[in-house]
Amino acid sequence: MKQKIAVQVDDLTVAYNYKPVLWDIDLEIPEGVLMAIVGPNGAGKSTLIKSILGILKPIAGSISVYGKPYEKQRSLVAYVPQKGSVDWDFPTTALDVVMMGTYGSLGWIKRPGQKEKKAALEALEKVGMLPFKNRQISQLSGGQQQRIFLARALVQDASIYFMDEPFQGVDASTEIAIINILKALRKAGKTVIVVHHDLQTVPEYFDWVTFLNVKKIATGPVKDIFNDDNLTKTYGINYKVSIQE
Amino acid sequence: MSNAQIEIQLIASLVAIACAIPGTFLVLRKMAMISDAISHSILPGIVIGFFITQDLNSPLLILLAALTGIITVVLVEYIQKTGLVKEDTAIGLVFPILFSIGVILIAKNANDVHLDVDAVLLGELAFAPFDRLMISGVDVGPKSLWIIGSILVITIGLLIAFFKELKVSTFDAGLAASLGFSPAILHYGLMTVSSVTTVGAFDAVGAILVVALMIAPAATAYLLTTNLKRMLVYSVCFGIFSAISGYWLAHWLDASIAGSITTMLGLLFLTVYLFAPNKGIIAVLYREKQQRTEVLLITFLLHLKNHNDERERHVNHLNEHINWQKVRSKTILDLALKNNMISIGNKIVSLTEKGDEFTTQAIDYIITNEDAQIEHMKDDFFLFRG
Ligand SMILES: Nc1ncnc2c1ncn2[C@@H]1O[C@H](COP(=O)(O)OP(=O)(O)OP(=O)(O)O)[C@@H](O)[C@H]1O
Ligand SMILES: [Mg+2]
Repeated sequence: MKQKIAVQVDDLTVAYNYKPVLWDIDLEIPEGVLMAIVGPNGAGKSTLIKSILGILKPIAGSISVYGKPYEKQRSLVAYVPQKGSVDWDFPTTALDVVMMGTYGSLGWIKRPGQKEKKAALEALEKVGMLPFKNRQISQLSGGQQQRIFLARALVQDASIYFMDEPFQGVDASTEIAIINILKALRKAGKTVIVVHHDLQTVPEYFDWVTFLNVKKIATGPVKDIFNDDNLTKTYGINYKVSIQE
Repeated sequence: MSNAQIEIQLIASLVAIACAIPGTFLVLRKMAMISDAISHSILPGIVIGFFITQDLNSPLLILLAALTGIITVVLVEYIQKTGLVKEDTAIGLVFPILFSIGVILIAKNANDVHLDVDAVLLGELAFAPFDRLMISGVDVGPKSLWIIGSILVITIGLLIAFFKELKVSTFDAGLAASLGFSPAILHYGLMTVSSVTTVGAFDAVGAILVVALMIAPAATAYLLTTNLKRMLVYSVCFGIFSAISGYWLAHWLDASIAGSITTMLGLLFLTVYLFAPNKGIIAVLYREKQQRTEVLLITFLLHLKNHNDERERHVNHLNEHINWQKVRSKTILDLALKNNMISIGNKIVSLTEKGDEFTTQAIDYIITNEDAQIEHMKDDFFLFRG
């Protein structure tokens, strides 16, 4: 049986100030995988996600989500940005940030009501952050902020989830809580794409992996392609990590 | 109060509200400087608009001048995008050029244009009531009141319609874009409103006061609340308060109204900056001192827990062992006593049951790297804070 393709990227080149940071990327992400994107700092991982989500305009190439341009499929996609990309001193509460996840389905002008609030509270519950719903977001720890972002993505009730380093700066228990939620999403048939830095945990957490460093190095099932050869190609130095044990 | 006085205060208050609303978002977007740039670079727009319309209050002039404001923003962003200079440098490059073009245009045509640079920068609120709007021969009030009133109505309408879009794109532009709320549209929408407000207000209050009214109330409100809606309300209130109190200050000192309002804005900010309950300087310093004392207290309790030897716990030798000065040892000792953490018998200090429990828990948190939890513990254990 041929798997459906959730996201297809063809010949994608993205540049900042006319300096390309992603070169000619071809990528197919099958439906229902839990995929890690790995690569060194500055490899263009965040850039790739932002381009797929239409946040950045590529200078060449095309992207489709379930066969159609992203603009037509917004409601199918949820996004967790890199934590450092927002101002945590912004005057707002945890609940309010999660509610932002519902804005997409509301569209312009329409305001969130009870239904949206209920969905946001449920999402907060799922990530164990209900007791913090009225906290100002700067008064949350790094791990709690990450959970809020996750809740905001959950509330979007999407088919495809993009997460930029959801494990950044979280402790072991939060990491387990997050990965359990991601695995539950995959089980429910969702496609989850995660920028990930901890190579040790790739085989344990993910079933699919993409190596990226300006160019796409490799993409496929973890058990087939997660090896020293690809790691070395991606990270430059002679990379030896005993991942088999 | 005379009619003119009431009208002046009304105009100043409406200007304050119209500025506070976009100002709040400018402050949150860390774009305070851009309002300064807009307020100066609209000058050539105003001059050219004036050549065309011969009327400082014509809506066409307002739109032309607002367009100059948008051009400023576009130019700044363009220069910034080249990656050669930072945003503040780009702003510093663009607006003096546009402003000086305006100055030259005025100087060249000084004879037939009743416009001067001072008036643009400082405005003259006191004269605003003299320029009346007549509709079929009936006096309906000062023109400035109608202009700023219309701008305010539009601004409030836009705020209510696009509050959620503005909020999400200010907090997280990436998310906004992925949800389909183009941050560019919202950004330029906000810039347009800021420009139109600046132009509409400058004639009455001058460019400098416009900047002050956009930034100062919002910056003051930011120190006091963690809720965006409340921040908007506070900004508006601070704006109105400064407008009215500034008017009376000017009246009393026989000084410039715009200058007095700016002074009030500054004083208000300073007061809040010093005394705000959480983010104010005094509160921050006080909290730091408290934290310092409480860390020392925990250190002291740990010392008691670790040393059973009576010599180490003798009141007179404590400062030698723990290497603290007398005053400090005394402060800490008193604090511990007041909180029933220790008892002193025979000049020997010992932990009480409560002190022992507190210390044990504190150690646990410290070794598991959950120092933040200690703060909650303090709430439970302390009767008196450091
Ligand atoms: N706004 C920007 N303007 C100019 N260059 C940028 C910008 N954002 C990113 N870059 C550059 O693009 C390259 C890729 O950045 P990107 O953020 O996609 O990397 P990343 O793989 O996500 O890195 P990290 O692991 O540090 O998050 C880097 O060289 C970076 O310096
Ligand atoms: Mg990144």
